[in-house]
Amino acid sequence: MGAPDPVETFRQESQELLEQLEQALLDLEHRQGDMELIDSAFRALHTIKGSGAMFGFDAVAAFTHHVENAFDEVRKGKLAASSELVALALSAKDQLRILLDRPDQADAATQSAILDGFRAIVQGGGGASAAVAAAAAADDAARGWRIGIRLPRDAMAMGTNPLLLLDELRALGPARVSALAGDVPPLEELEPTDCHIGWQVELDAPCPRAAVEDVFMFVIDDMTLTLEPLGAAPVEAPPAAAMAVPPPSAGAAPAAKPAPAADSVRVPANKLDELMDRVGELVIAQSRLRQVAGGSHDMQLRAVAEEIERLALELRDTTMGIRTVPIGQLFGRFRRLVHDLCRDLGKEVELVMQGEETELDKTVIERLNDPLVHLIRNALDHGLERPEERGDKPRRGRLLLSARHAGAQVRVSIREDGRGLDRARIRARAEERGLVAPDQPMTDQEVFQLIFEPGFSTAAAVTNLSGRGVGMDVVKRTIEGLRGSIEVSSSPGAGTEVTLCLPLTLAIIDGLLVRVGEGRYVIPLTAVEECVELDADAEAGGARCNFLNLRGSLIPFLRLNEVFATPRDPEKLKKAVIVSAGDQRVGLVVDQVIGDHQTVIKSLSRLHAEVEMFSGATILGDGSVALILDIAPLVAFGQAHEERLMAAA
Amino acid sequence: MSKTILTVDDSASLRQMVRMTLSGAGFAVVEAEDGVDGLAKANARAVDMVVTDLNMPRMNGLGLITELRKLPAYRGVPILFLTTESDAGIKAQAKAAGATGWITKPFQPEQLLAVVRKVLG
Amino acid sequence: MSTPDIAPTLRVVTIDLQGERFALETRHVREILDPGPSTLVPNAPAFLDRLINVRGRIVPLADLRLKLGLAPSDTTIDTRVIVLEVPLEDEPVTVAVQADKVHEVRDIALVGMTQTPRFGLRCRPEYVRCIGQLGDDFVVVLDPGPIFAQPRAADALPIPAA
Repeated sequence: MGAPDPVETFRQESQELLEQLEQALLDLEHRQGDMELIDSAFRALHTIKGSGAMFGFDAVAAFTHHVENAFDEVRKGKLAASSELVALALSAKDQLRILLDRPDQADAATQSAILDGFRAIVQGGGGASAAVAAAAAADDAARGWRIGIRLPRDAMAMGTNPLLLLDELRALGPARVSALAGDVPPLEELEPTDCHIGWQVELDAPCPRAAVEDVFMFVIDDMTLTLEPLGAAPVEAPPAAAMAVPPPSAGAAPAAKPAPAADSVRVPANKLDELMDRVGELVIAQSRLRQVAGGSHDMQLRAVAEEIERLALELRDTTMGIRTVPIGQLFGRFRRLVHDLCRDLGKEVELVMQGEETELDKTVIERLNDPLVHLIRNALDHGLERPEERGDKPRRGRLLLSARHAGAQVRVSIREDGRGLDRARIRARAEERGLVAPDQPMTDQEVFQLIFEPGFSTAAAVTNLSGRGVGMDVVKRTIEGLRGSIEVSSSPGAGTEVTLCLPLTLAIIDGLLVRVGEGRYVIPLTAVEECVELDADAEAGGARCNFLNLRGSLIPFLRLNEVFATPRDPEKLKKAVIVSAGDQRVGLVVDQVIGDHQTVIKSLSRLHAEVEMFSGATILGDGSVALILDIAPLVAFGQAHEERLMAAA
Repeated sequence: MSKTILTVDDSASLRQMVRMTLSGAGFAVVEAEDGVDGLAKANARAVDMVVTDLNMPRMNGLGLITELRKLPAYRGVPILFLTTESDAGIKAQAKAAGATGWITKPFQPEQLLAVVRKVLG
Repeated sequence: MSTPDIAPTLRVVTIDLQGERFALETRHVREILDPGPSTLVPNAPAFLDRLINVRGRIVPLADLRLKLGLAPSDTTIDTRVIVLEVPLEDEPVTVAVQADKVHEVRDIALVGMTQTPRFGLRCRPEYVRCIGQLGDDFVVVLDPGPIFAQPRAADALPIPAA
């Protein structure tokens, strides 16, 4: 593994800083006098400028300098924050993002417009950069120098080491050093860290005066330094300057803000992944232990095995907790999106967020970003009306982003109080595209789900933002890829709500371990309704009688050994595991139901990405691999398979 | 025995760069992300030098320098601060609070090492 | 002073497959294991229809013989499983292959194509990186990238229930 690169760290850091800046600016718009927000914005800019210059991002540093200046003026009370400043700073933040990520696409005109804006605001007082007091170094290189040195009494207490200074002088050339100890007080009064000794140095080096002064650059303002070219008559040794230790200036009072003590540790994501893997392996090993202990009569062994099971599960829950992150982090990013969309679309919308503290696995949160952006865009573009079109409803539309836990799921919803979905139009469009037969009865839910079909869009006009119909099907696939589902509800004139239902964790699931032929497979327990024994006749018939009678309702079943093209197990009595996939129930016929099994999901290789029926694999107690069934595509595949068999009959 | 340097800065990338430069030159490095953290770490173990940024949340550099100089253990320990450009006012303030010297940002690794050696030997 | 012609060399692991000698560049080889249990992946392409567990990682076990046009052979005491890391579209992918026998790591000299005897290579030419010389024999150095490259399948969108 290569050493971490500070430039990469800076890139990550600047992302976070730009986030921080944006949040501060958005809040500042409503609380323009809040000094903490100003300070937060200033610090973010200051760090970006400073670190940016360190790592070669010169354009970024130069640009940030001006923005930082403006905020410095506000900090010092010379300038008041204003909506104009905030708007300008938001544009500057966008420009910075471009300069950091895609500098070749940075538009010079935009940039100078922003800078002009800042200059205008700061109005001539701007810049305030201290005039560099250029020490007019008379470059008189004499044969050498006679140097008189008197340091302030507290110089050593303040970390200055006079010996190092003398060594630096010696590095310039041959030097004769003599100490001037006349001012050293008697022993009883002597404070050892006080500096009472002065020095006189005769330096035989034809160096410029500035070279000598440079040695003392840190202390030159507080000391007495005399320099004469050698060859001139020696001057009196400089008198001991009665330097009192300057009291700490009032300005140095620590700015201890009562900020929330965020006692946190930054951890690279791959370390967390490794930790998750270890915990997962521990869970597997522990279940093996449980098996062994279960078959043993050794009470001690069983007691310890139980203890280990408890600890392993607690550890699993804790590490799950590490990877979870409150969704508010994601919601926060959308404030800016909504703000800009409202501006661009001429809409007035109040954004309300609920359940921001709801926690989700970090990887799930990241993958939710794009679908949520698309849904928000849709809501603002198509769902919510312009203020004048709102009729009796309040002029300002309302967009609610909420998240909550419900059982083993997290439900994230986007709700707006706009027009609502036009059921008739969606239906018509679907019929037009041959997706639905004209007289087929459909529930509202089924009609609304049609909007997730690829290429489906009822928008009359394709706007820049949405309406191309390429988004919703991707949203659906992304959510399904997270083993989740989408619900839509809507009523005309009152608005639409889209809810994303996601499993709480990705990594560990409870499953039912089954055997089909030689192989073992895991069926996610959330999909399993029950297991029934299959009537030997119905099964053996091989007949096209592929339905079970379950307490009066007919449920189709799939012979997994046929679906998997594995040899048929001659064992007469089979089991059917009744699973539900969406609204459908199907019985999966297996050779043996082995039992409940908690598994750590391992993803399949990219090379197997196209194999549809499996969502992953897991490692069993004995080290062998069991594939995890992905129920929905399995059912679809099985149906097509059965249809082919029937056609061939 | 190698010398230990405490680096205090809220910018992770800068801390990383300072750490890589100093540890590459044989120094042991302790990091802190703001004045409060820096003070805690300075109290927890003796360090031979402190390098601190000025602009940090919770407790800024000036505050840290002031607090450090109140500690008997830190008499005589060099404290450097990081400053941008040549803001004379800030330098005076920091020196008044007890800083030994400064490093001007942006700086190259060699410049950092040069100042460290100047002040620490 | 004339500089002797130094033929370019390649560091490879040489293996036997169905009596024929092949080589794999060591830069692709992660480790070599004893064969163990493998799991069938139903409905996967025949070439890639098994999986193995490599210290907790699920790795596909590919049947190179199929790709190289060789007959299958039984597992013997010499059979080994080689875990490869193959560059595929910017990101390396881990895959395992079985070999009848694994020989040592060698630096072999590369041979210009004009000097290659007519081998009767049964495999497709793009699977061959080059020919190397091993003593008096020639050995085919395989190129894992094209062997494991996936054809671009059209996105199969589920047909909505009518």
